[in-house]
Amino acid sequence: MEVSRRDFIKITGASAAGAVLFNGCQVPEREMVLESPVRIPEDTINSFENWYASVCRQCGAGCGILVRVVEGRAKKIEGNPDHPLNQGKLCARGEAGLQALYHPDRIRTPLRRSGPRGSGQYQVITWDEAIAELVSRLDDQAKQSSADTVVIATEPTHGLSAHILNTFARNYGATLMAHEPLEHTALYAAFKNLFGQERAPHFDIQRAASVLSFGANFLEPWLSQVNYSRQYGEFRQGGRSRGHLVQVEPRLSMTAANADDWVPINPGTDGVLAMAIAHVLITERLADATAVQAMTGGAGADALAAFRPEEAEKITGVKVDKIKELARGLAAKSPSLVIGGSGPAGHTNGLFNITAIYALNFLLGNIGKSGGVQFNPAPPTPELAANLPATPMRTWGQLASRIQNKQPKPVNLLLVHNANPLYSLPPTLGFGNGLKNIAVIVSFSSFMDETTAMADLILPDHSYLESWGEDSPDPGVGYQAVGLQQPTVEPSYSTRSFMDVILALAKGLGEKTRSGLPWDDYKGALEDIGKKLFALNRGSVRAPDFASFWHGALQRGGWWDTQSSPTLPNPRPPALSRQMSLPGFEGSDTEYPFYLHVYASNSLYDGRGAHLPWLQMTPDPMTTVSWQTWVEINPKTASQMGFKEGDIVIVESPAGKLEVPVYVYPAIPPNVVAIPTGQGHSSMGRYGERRGANPFLILSSKTEESTGAMAWGATRVRISKTGKSYRLPKLEGSVLAVEPDDYKVVEITR
Amino acid sequence: MDMAEDRKWGMVVDIDRCTGCQACVIACQTENNILLSTEDIVQQSRSMVWMRIERYWEGEFPDIKARFIPIMCQHCENAPCEPVCPVYATYHNNEGLNVQVYNRCVGTRYCANNCPYSARVFNYWERNTAAPFMDLVPPAQRVAEPMNEYLNPDVTVRTKGIMEKCTFCVQRIHKVSLDAKARGEDIKDGDVQPACVQACPTGALVFGDLNSPSSKASKMSKDERGYHLLEDLGTAPSVTYLKKVDPQHAGTPSRTH
Repeated sequence: MEVSRRDFIKITGASAAGAVLFNGCQVPEREMVLESPVRIPEDTINSFENWYASVCRQCGAGCGILVRVVEGRAKKIEGNPDHPLNQGKLCARGEAGLQALYHPDRIRTPLRRSGPRGSGQYQVITWDEAIAELVSRLDDQAKQSSADTVVIATEPTHGLSAHILNTFARNYGATLMAHEPLEHTALYAAFKNLFGQERAPHFDIQRAASVLSFGANFLEPWLSQVNYSRQYGEFRQGGRSRGHLVQVEPRLSMTAANADDWVPINPGTDGVLAMAIAHVLITERLADATAVQAMTGGAGADALAAFRPEEAEKITGVKVDKIKELARGLAAKSPSLVIGGSGPAGHTNGLFNITAIYALNFLLGNIGKSGGVQFNPAPPTPELAANLPATPMRTWGQLASRIQNKQPKPVNLLLVHNANPLYSLPPTLGFGNGLKNIAVIVSFSSFMDETTAMADLILPDHSYLESWGEDSPDPGVGYQAVGLQQPTVEPSYSTRSFMDVILALAKGLGEKTRSGLPWDDYKGALEDIGKKLFALNRGSVRAPDFASFWHGALQRGGWWDTQSSPTLPNPRPPALSRQMSLPGFEGSDTEYPFYLHVYASNSLYDGRGAHLPWLQMTPDPMTTVSWQTWVEINPKTASQMGFKEGDIVIVESPAGKLEVPVYVYPAIPPNVVAIPTGQGHSSMGRYGERRGANPFLILSSKTEESTGAMAWGATRVRISKTGKSYRLPKLEGSVLAVEPDDYKVVEITR
Repeated sequence: MDMAEDRKWGMVVDIDRCTGCQACVIACQTENNILLSTEDIVQQSRSMVWMRIERYWEGEFPDIKARFIPIMCQHCENAPCEPVCPVYATYHNNEGLNVQVYNRCVGTRYCANNCPYSARVFNYWERNTAAPFMDLVPPAQRVAEPMNEYLNPDVTVRTKGIMEKCTFCVQRIHKVSLDAKARGEDIKDGDVQPACVQACPTGALVFGDLNSPSSKASKMSKDERGYHLLEDLGTAPSVTYLKKVDPQHAGTPSRTH
C-alpha cells in the first residue's frame, strides 16, 4: 500500500508546519522532524563511485574482480563479467577480501624485533632502514658463507612474479622454495606424465553429459572453484540434457552432496577403482579401441588382470556391480569426463591414483574434445609462462634436517612470503624445531601468523587490493588469458609490495643479482609485459598506441585471445600401469582404528582465511558450524562410543593429539572420521587465533612415494573422551528434524 | 523512488543448480552492512544473516543425500509480518517489496515472531560506535576500525533495537531506477542484480520483474519444477523455488522440499 508524503503527515497527526504550531514551545523549530524519510526523496544522490578491475588473490584460481570504490574506500568486490575464468561470478572468499584490506590487525610498518624471538616485541623502523638491513645481510651471506645459506620461502606462483623470483634466486644463488599446504604436486606430475602439459587442463564440465569425480572437490575451493561452479550450473540446467555427476570419496563432501550418486570408498584406493573401471570398459568393449591398443600394449584387459572388479571390491570396498555400473554409465553417456582431486592425491600412492583416474579419459575418447579434457596454450610471453610450482613436502623435510643439523650448510637467512610453514607443515618434519638455528628470519606478511611471529624483521606487503600484478589462470579456459591486477585504493599504511621490495633488493645487491631485472618497480615490469602483449597485435584489446592499449586492458581487467589454441598437439594415450599401488598409513589399524580424513574448509581453506571474520562466520555447508573445528563421526560409531554432539574428544595419531568437539555426521563411513583444516592458529590476529584445532599438527610426515608430496590422507587415529563438552556455534537448530510419520507421540492399544 | 505501478520484483532459486557454496551469504553480508555474527552470537542462535542456506539430510548412510535451500525474505504478497507491526514499520510497496522502515521500528519483534520463514533478524546489540553507551558493549561486538571503512554508504547502519531482513537490495533497485530515469530509459531485465544473485557462481539465483512476461525470472517462475516454501500457509511469496532433480529417486514422492 502506497503512502504519500501528505498522507503520512496526516496519519502521524501533525498539522501543517508553521510558527503557530510551536508557539511557546522550548524546542527549536529546526529540530522538529515532521516526517521520517520513508521514501528516499528523488533528489537523493547515490554515492559517486568508481569501479576498478583487478584480480582476486584469496586463492590460487585468479578470478577477475571489479572493486567498487567510493571516496577512496573499497566498498564491494564483485566478479568481473568480462574475465573469461569466472564471468562475473565470485565465491565467498572473494567477497570477503575487503576484510583483508581493512583489518585491525594488519601490520602497518616495517618492524624489527626488540625482544626475544616469539615475544611479540617489535620496534617500528623505516623502509629505508629495513631494505638497507636486508640488503646488507644478503650481501654478507653471499660474501662470507655463500648465497645458498639463504632460503626464500613463498607460495606457488606463475607468471611475472615467478619469473622475477626465479631470476633473483638464480642470480643471487638462494634456495627458492614454495609451500602449499594441500599441495597439487601429484596432480601436476600426472598432468605432465599423461598429457605432456606443464599447466593444468581445462575441464569442460558444462558440456559433459557425465562426470565421474574421484575426490575432486571442484564445487569447493579446489583449483578453480568459481569456474567449475559456473560450469556446473550449466551442466545441470543449461538447456542441454541434464548432466549426471558421480562422486567417489570416503566422506560425503559438499561436492558429493550435489552429486547424483555418492560412492564411499576406502581411503587411498581410488586408483584401484579407476583401473577396475578401465578393466570393465575394455572387457565390455566400451572403450576407444585405438586407445585400448596403445594403453595395454595390445594385451587388452589381460594387462589389467590385477584390477579385475572382484579383486578391486576387496580392496576398495566398492561392490562389483557398482564398479560395472560406473563403467557402463560412463560409456552410455557421451561425452564423459573423469577427474580426480585432493582426496586420492593426498596418499602415499597419490600419483598412482591420480594417473589411473585421469587415464580413463583416454579410454573414453574425450581428450581435447568438447565436454572432455581440454588443454591450455602456454601464456604468450616467456615471463608470463614462468612457473614456481609447490615444493614437495619431502624437500621441506630435507630442508628441516639441514636447518637442524646445519649440514651440509646451515640456513642463516630465511625470507618468508605468503607461506606459513609453521602452521601447515606437520611438526614431525622438524621445521619448527630448527628455527632457532636460523640467524635471521624475515617475513613479508601483512598479518602476524605463526611464522611471522618468529620473524626478526618484518617488511609488510600491501593487501592485494593495493597491489599491481597479473595472473594467467592455471587452470585456464582453453585460450590465452592474462588477468591484470591493479591497485584499487591508495595504500592505507606504510607497506610495500613484495615484488617492489625484491626489485629494490636486486638493485641494492649489484649487477650480478640485478641481471635480467632492470625494473625499479613491479609496475614498470608489468608495463613491459604489457608492451609485449600490445605488440602481439591480437586479442581482446586493440588500440593504436601502447598507452591506450594499456589503459583499455587495465579497465577491462586483462587481455585474452579467444582465437589462441593449445600450443601442443593432443597427447597420445599412455601405457597403463600394470602394478597395483596401495596406500600406506601411519598407525596400525588395531591401535588406531579410524582413517583420518582431512579436508579443506570451504571458507578458511587451508588456514589462510582464518583471520577474516566474514570467513569465520560463514557456515560450513554440510554441518553449518562456524568459528570452530569439529570432528565428524558416523552416528552408529558415535552411539557405540557414547559420543554426542559437542563432546570434546581427543583425536590421537602417532604424531600427536588434538582436542576437538564432536559433530555426529550422517554421511561418513563408520571407520572414518573427518576434520576440516583452517583453525587452530596460535597466532593469526584477534579473529583467527586460539580457536579450534589444527589437524596439520597430528598428520604423519609420510609422503607420496614418487613425488614426495604431502600425504595428508595417510594418518590413522584413535578417539577417546575428555568428559568436557562445548556448544558448537552453528546455524542449524539443535533439534533433529524428524519426519512426522517416524515420530510416535502416542501408542494406541486396544 | 520512482514507483512504476506495474513492476513486481521476484526471485527464482534453482535448487538443482545451488551447491551450497555460501557465496550469496557473504555477498549479502558485505553489501548490506550486516552486524558481524561472532561466535557467541551464533551459539545463541541469533546469527545475523539475511540470506542463509539450510541443509537437509535425506535417508541414512550409505544411501544418504543432502539438499541445500537458500532462504531469504520471501517478500510475500500476503505477508504475515505486515499486519502485526504496531507502528506500521513494515509494509508492502507497489513494486512488490516488503519494506522494513528502520527508523519507525520500535523493536516489538512481533513481525519476526509471525514470519514462517524466520527471515527476520533482530539487532540485539549495539555496534554504532557513536552511541553514548558504547562502553557497555562487549569489545568483540564492536566494529573494529578500520572495518568501518568498507561499510556501504547506500545502506543504513542499523542500531540496537531494530528489525532487519533481506530487502532484495533495494538500494540497487533504487540506483538502477534513478539511473534509468535519468537516461530516459526503462530498466532492462538483468540490470538490477541483488548482491546474492550477482555472486552466485552456478546461476541458481535469478531476479527480475515477475510482471514482465519477457523477463527471465518471470519465465522461470512458471517452470514445472516450481514451488513455493510453505505454500499451504497462503503467504504468496515472491520467491519461486525450482525442485532439485534426483534421477535415483525419480517417481517417488519427495520427503522434503
